[in-house]
Amino acid sequence: MLTVCDLSVSYGRFQALRSVSLQAAPGSILGLIGPNGSGKSTFLNVIAGVQAVASGEVRLDGTLVPLGLPERVAAHGIGRSFQTPRLAHRLTVFQNIMIGARPQAGERLRSLFLQPATVRRREADIQDEARSVLRRLDLSHKANDYAGMLSGGQQKLLSLGMLLMGHPRVLLLDEPAAGVNPVLIERQINLLKELRAEGRIILLVEHNMEMVCGVCDRVVVLDSGAVIAEGDPDAIRRDERVMRSYLGEPA
Amino acid sequence: MIDFAVFSITIIAVWSVLAISLHLQFGLTGLVNFGQVLPFAVGAYGTAFAAAHGLPAWAGAGIGVTLAPLLGLLVILPASRLAQDYWALVTLGAGEIFRLTMLNVPVIAGGDEGTSVYRFQNADLAMVLALTLLLVTLLFARRVGASPLGRMLRVLREDEVLAATLGRNPFRLQRMVTAASWVMAAAAGVLYAHVTGYISPSSFTVLETFVIWTAVVLGGPSTITGVLLGTVIVQLTSVSTRFVAQWSGLPSDLVANLRLGAYGLVLILVFLYRPQGLIPERKLRYDADRL
Repeated sequence: MLTVCDLSVSYGRFQALRSVSLQAAPGSILGLIGPNGSGKSTFLNVIAGVQAVASGEVRLDGTLVPLGLPERVAAHGIGRSFQTPRLAHRLTVFQNIMIGARPQAGERLRSLFLQPATVRRREADIQDEARSVLRRLDLSHKANDYAGMLSGGQQKLLSLGMLLMGHPRVLLLDEPAAGVNPVLIERQINLLKELRAEGRIILLVEHNMEMVCGVCDRVVVLDSGAVIAEGDPDAIRRDERVMRSYLGEPA
Repeated sequence: MIDFAVFSITIIAVWSVLAISLHLQFGLTGLVNFGQVLPFAVGAYGTAFAAAHGLPAWAGAGIGVTLAPLLGLLVILPASRLAQDYWALVTLGAGEIFRLTMLNVPVIAGGDEGTSVYRFQNADLAMVLALTLLLVTLLFARRVGASPLGRMLRVLREDEVLAATLGRNPFRLQRMVTAASWVMAAAAGVLYAHVTGYISPSSFTVLETFVIWTAVVLGGPSTITGVLLGTVIVQLTSVSTRFVAQWSGLPSDLVANLRLGAYGLVLILVFLYRPQGLIPERKLRYDADRL
């Protein structure tokens, strides 16, 4: 269970998040919607440790997640993808997938020179897993292309694959469908459903309402940094306040 | 002629070690070290300090090679929370601070007048030592570059935040690279001191950093063969300056300055038209279809 309690973030006098609290259970997808600037990305950044926090706490299965330290948050099994995918552009797709695996013996100087056999074995395992993740994403044919050469939609799939290599319990996805063609959106929706069935917790920030309504179990609506509504997707669609703040005035 | 060849090979080997050290820092990890001359100078000054204070040569080597990585960690400390552009300024400043300290504190190693150190009497021995050092650094850099560590360093070069969200500590890796590559450069400095037999601050100006960078950028910062090729080209033009001066009849000062001007031009042209250098990084291919 992911429990977020009273998160607040401010930049000077501007409050980006106003004591946001929410819960997400294993095997569920929680949608996070709201107009631009409502604090969705900030919220994900705080949980991922990329953004320092003014107050509040995040717990995963009761354990306090250290905030403001991305490298330690990842060790708790929390992975974040970015709206503009962060990739190593001058490495190949295959290498990008491989760097998601953790820990890697071959990244320590000592093991590299003193335990070459361990390093080799781990590397072979990582390669096997990278192959299966690529197949799952249907990106095998792109394995040896530079990540920077992929289309926007493929880059989003790749960054999701990179996360999967780290066996995250929590996935924080920032607009995976934005600028992606319908075929790849469909593939992502299927993938998200599989990941939910595996018992992972997924927080999905997304403007594409078709995707949100298609996969989310619950939806939280943010406006000006505060939660203004929460409920199942259909109820949210019927909520008048949400319609006004986000989806526009009803015709 | 043989003597000249032996000397040239020795010098090229020493500068190749500096270039490989910069390859690890810049070519792999993306650390813009504009003070690459600093660890080199620390190695040389460890030797000079020992000579000036009647300590044995091995003690001087020990001081240089131990002090350099420690100094490196100190120098990059303020840069830990800065973007990589600022590394350039911090390291550039650190290199100058060290040189000016050596210049103005004669107690350490003779100040402006410099210090004489033991000079290898046998040029062949110097060459063999230089080539051995080069081989060791080359094997080390190759092992690191082709390993999972090298892969993660390249991720750092591309995007530090990505490395952090994948659970890595970017600053820990940057410290490791700095320490290792500064040890190499310091060892090159020790050897250089014993090859020339004389150490003074004027040998360690920003200009030397600039020469190493020219070689690395020209050859291709991300490959070992690239930085070696660049070093050979740059150092050959450097040692042949006096021949060019004789042949053209121009004063050798002018030729030396023209050479530096040419390096600058080469840097600009390479950045504009071939940023990956003469030898670009090779793509590592994997078989993705195997079951």
